[in-house]
Amino acid sequence: MTLALSINGRIRHVQAGLSDTLLTVLRDQLLLTAAKRGCNQGVCGACTVLIDGRPQRACLSLAANCEGAAITTLEGLQRDAGMARLQKAFTATGAVQCGFCTPGVLVSAHALLSHNADPRTDEIRAGLSGNLCRCSGYRKIAEAVAEAAKEAKP
Amino acid sequence: MSVPGYHRPKSVEDAARLLAETDGARCLSGGATLVAMMNASLAEPKAIVSLAGIPELAGIAELANGGFRIGAMTRHAATAADARLAGTLAVLRDAARQIANPVVRNMGTIGGSIGFADPAADYPPALVAANAEVEIVNAAGRRRVAARDFFVDWYTTACGPGEFVTGVHLPPPRPGAGLYRKLARVSGDFAIASVALSAARDAAGVSVRIAVGGCGPRPIRADAADALLSAKFGDAAAAAAAGEALAAAADPVDDVRASAEYRRLVIPRLVAETVAHARAALEAR
Repeated sequence: MTLALSINGRIRHVQAGLSDTLLTVLRDQLLLTAAKRGCNQGVCGACTVLIDGRPQRACLSLAANCEGAAITTLEGLQRDAGMARLQKAFTATGAVQCGFCTPGVLVSAHALLSHNADPRTDEIRAGLSGNLCRCSGYRKIAEAVAEAAKEAKP
Repeated sequence: MSVPGYHRPKSVEDAARLLAETDGARCLSGGATLVAMMNASLAEPKAIVSLAGIPELAGIAELANGGFRIGAMTRHAATAADARLAGTLAVLRDAARQIANPVVRNMGTIGGSIGFADPAADYPPALVAANAEVEIVNAAGRRRVAARDFFVDWYTTACGPGEFVTGVHLPPPRPGAGLYRKLARVSGDFAIASVALSAARDAAGVSVRIAVGGCGPRPIRADAADALLSAKFGDAAAAAAAGEALAAAADPVDDVRASAEYRRLVIPRLVAETVAHARAALEAR
């Protein structure tokens, strides 16, 4: 049946059954594939998106329960200056290995920096603790977030 | 709401009625557990009663007696950030901030967590140490159950068919300390063992409530441990005896996180460490 979801500032109409998740409709119907299906259990963080401004798991959100919420995926942040700084820093620092976790990490890092513009290393690690990198490239990811925060300073 | 089987009632009473009269219906709060189980084909509800549209379930309200009611849909992040949960009630904030990771704390709710009643979760022992009551609704009305009686067995609560958790009632905070310490393989994992402690201090002395998580089918407590710690708070021998009493009351199992034997050994150490930190917190006041 048809649902009307607010995604990246636009109302999008999707077909969903009772057990379909937000992640499924994003990837399979809207072809917004930045959010990845990793564990599908809420553990890995590869599907992290913003729901009403807060990072949450698309795989643990039933599509039907998302009507009325404002959903922002990584694609919706492509004109955001803070996200551009993060992406540049990730590239320059070598924080992307296989890249599968990167979209979720970027969404979590963006949320972290929007609340804490100058995080310490332990705050960066705690802020990203919901995102697993199976290449185990955590050190460079934390360095990249610190670099993006430094770049943002006037 | 155009998906068949999906309901988003606007009141607790409507939700209770829907749950009672809809075959195979489950309540949905944050989704962190139920949707994960649906994705793994471990749960296949025929209908979903979402609690997302019920205003009275969201947020933390101060009560006329100075205590608090935490609505069932309150996210862990909101509980962890609420500075009004101070003194003896800080045990609940301390537990909330140690649940999983920031993203899951934005989703998971107190009602969903305690309704699922994983004995290795963080809220159950903290609610027992805080002397909380759990508010439950069914189609006939509401009732309240002491936290120590709410958790009945592995993944089993005092909620019967057609009932769900609507909130948690906390007594007025008392001056003192409240803290939660967890031994886990990595930060944010479920507990191998955990200790929740509240210590109220006034002119008459110290009054302690302590509970252990992750070491049996429900939070472990012992009247003897509370009495020992209240009589001689901060005394190393009393803390050791309280730890032994709790280890004796525990009923741990071997699982992927640790053996039962290891848990019995570690309980007294974790109790002693928690008491030492609580004492330091009291002296710093």
